[in-house]
Amino acid sequence: MTLKKIFRRIWAIVGAVTVRAKILGIVLGFIILLGVGVTLEARYALTATMTAQLEEQSISVSRDLAARATDPILLNNLLGLHDLLDETLANNPNVRYAFIVDPQGQVIAQTFEGGFPLDLLTLNSAASTEHHHTALIQTDEGLVWDTAVPILDGKIGAARIGLADDSMRAALSTLTTQLLLTILLVSATGILVAIFLTWILTRPILELVNATKSVAKGDFTPRVPRWADDEIGDLAEAFNAMTEGLARTDELRHEREVLRRQLLEKVITTQEDERRRIARELHDSTSQSLTSLIVGLRMMETNCVQCASPTKATDLRQVASRTLDEVRDLSMRLRPRVLDDLGLAAALERLVSEWQSRNKIPVDVVIQLSERLPGEVETALYRIAQETLTNIARHAKAKSASILIEKHGDTVRAIVEDDGVGFDANMNQGERHLGLLGMRERAELLNGTLTVESDPAHGTSIFIEIPLGSV
Amino acid sequence: MKKISLLLILVLTSCSAIPQTEIVGKVDLNNLQPLPTPEGYDAVPLRVAVAAVISPKGTVESYSPFLSYLEKKLNRPIKLVQRRTYLEINDLIEHGEVDIAFVCTSAYIQGHDSFGMELLVAPQVDGKTTYNSLLIVPADSQAKSMKDLRGKVFAFTDPISLSGRVYPTYLVQQLGFPPEEFFARTIFTYSHDEAIRAVASGVADGAAVDSLVYDYALARDPSLAEKVKVIQRSPDFGIPPVVVSPFTRPQVKAELQALLLEMANDPTARDALTSIGVERFVLIDDSVYDSVRALVGVIPTSAVQP
Repeated sequence: MTLKKIFRRIWAIVGAVTVRAKILGIVLGFIILLGVGVTLEARYALTATMTAQLEEQSISVSRDLAARATDPILLNNLLGLHDLLDETLANNPNVRYAFIVDPQGQVIAQTFEGGFPLDLLTLNSAASTEHHHTALIQTDEGLVWDTAVPILDGKIGAARIGLADDSMRAALSTLTTQLLLTILLVSATGILVAIFLTWILTRPILELVNATKSVAKGDFTPRVPRWADDEIGDLAEAFNAMTEGLARTDELRHEREVLRRQLLEKVITTQEDERRRIARELHDSTSQSLTSLIVGLRMMETNCVQCASPTKATDLRQVASRTLDEVRDLSMRLRPRVLDDLGLAAALERLVSEWQSRNKIPVDVVIQLSERLPGEVETALYRIAQETLTNIARHAKAKSASILIEKHGDTVRAIVEDDGVGFDANMNQGERHLGLLGMRERAELLNGTLTVESDPAHGTSIFIEIPLGSV
Repeated sequence: MKKISLLLILVLTSCSAIPQTEIVGKVDLNNLQPLPTPEGYDAVPLRVAVAAVISPKGTVESYSPFLSYLEKKLNRPIKLVQRRTYLEINDLIEHGEVDIAFVCTSAYIQGHDSFGMELLVAPQVDGKTTYNSLLIVPADSQAKSMKDLRGKVFAFTDPISLSGRVYPTYLVQQLGFPPEEFFARTIFTYSHDEAIRAVASGVADGAAVDSLVYDYALARDPSLAEKVKVIQRSPDFGIPPVVVSPFTRPQVKAELQALLLEMANDPTARDALTSIGVERFVLIDDSVYDSVRALVGVIPTSAVQP
């Protein structure tokens, strides 16, 4: 559990760094691990060898000293003994001290000047039967190999030599420095190699990332080159295949969209044409017939004295008259003639005035158009305004509304606002959603846009922009 | 992370210091103190001087059993004193710095006549209390007498040695030359065994040595007979005696004399006597050395001085 935790923690750090840092880390880690291992091993081997050498040297020097000290000791030649010790010290740089003790352990001659470290006397000695006796002594100047050799089987004393490990420590530190320098050099090379390696590894990945971003923006043209015949090369190939597939799908989707638009346009055009035909039919023949019927009934009303009940005719005329109004209203709603004959401004003013009288909500209409707009645009804007007003009447509980239409360069802009309760503009279902969708489709068929802004405090605003140039 | 680095440091330090030998102790080499003055011996040691007839090391080896015997018999420690030259030993005897000494014949005469060195006993070897000076040359040498060694390298032993210096100088003088002109070069070996070695190895073309030492050396190393030969033997001289200092107390002198004279009758003393090549110790009179006195008198003092 804790191991898992530690691993996760390490991964949180290691995983967060860049690939370059990871590769650098691996390369440097291995170099340093190897370097430290080699250094330790070399130090160990060198220490072992030099320790043996020092010990051997300590023995040979003290044996030599013991042999040469025999006569001076026997002849009580203290000066000669002193010279011998000095000579031993001068000829063997590793020798830290040398001294001769008599069988009672008294120092006869020594190389320390101005005194003697008395503790040294008892730390090592050689029995008369021993060839030599070596002991390792810790001193304030480092380790010392102290060898005692009996002189003349210990009858006249013993020679003692102390060999310092200075040379060993110097050799060790030289070796360590050299190895560390090598590690440093190899590390520097390792860093360069790692950077080069990273460049080779990450370059195709970065290209893939850039290409992916392009694809995300809808540009399917970028293809990534296959740098190497490895996993990343396979990825690049797969990516290219995917991009091609996406491009084909997108093309297909685009074709379908065009087809759908054409179909929709056709539906809408057909619908408008049909409405126009029915409206004209209603206006021209049905209304005429109803008018004739009313005229006939009025005549019947006044001329028919013997009729049982003239009121009956009056009733019928009134029914016919109401029907005529309804037919006219229906015709107007289906397709106001004024839209075709007088244009958008007149049609809208008429629509608004009727809507106002029906809903008792004041509507401010501003239409700034110097000339008539193309028929499709007029129809679209009229239908959008019509739908919006219907929505306001049904849902908004508004106190006032406004319609602004103006031409701005090559675009016509329309804003329909109310101060009602507003609604969630992001809803994607229900009757109202369908209505909005229809309005948007109409605007988009003409390459325009429709935006809805709505919030409870400020009511609803619908912005429509339709370019005129492309129509 | 910290734990790992700690472990690394631990491994590093433990590997670099590998004392195969155990450290026996700690010493501050710069904490120098005056050496204590040697404590006195429990008993005052008897100081025995042995003149450098043979090399210092050879002296220790051959005199050890003898000194041990004395130590046991006298029940007091013995201190062996050696010096390079006979004169140094004589100085010690003169000033009472040694109690008993084995000296060379000429050294005795010089000591007796100048400060009263006293005879204690004399060793007897092969039933005699005399010895000779032997003129030796390498075995393959053509030389038949001292005359043939003219212009050669000659090894003297000690400057005042009778057998090693005085007698060969006398021989050269008999031929009518001062020694410094007769030989191409002379060397001093300070002991007789070294002089034999010098001739055996060809370093010297001739040397005069103590017959006692020569016989003793030949007995120890028979191969020497193939390397050196004796071409002349001197007349008999009084044997190198055992002497005491004028400062040696009479009781000590008497005790030592009795002990030495009794040694031949003591079975436990056999090794002690054999190792120094002595049959027994006997009393000797100073007059035995008169012939030597005559010889030394012939040699001018300048020739004897080293």
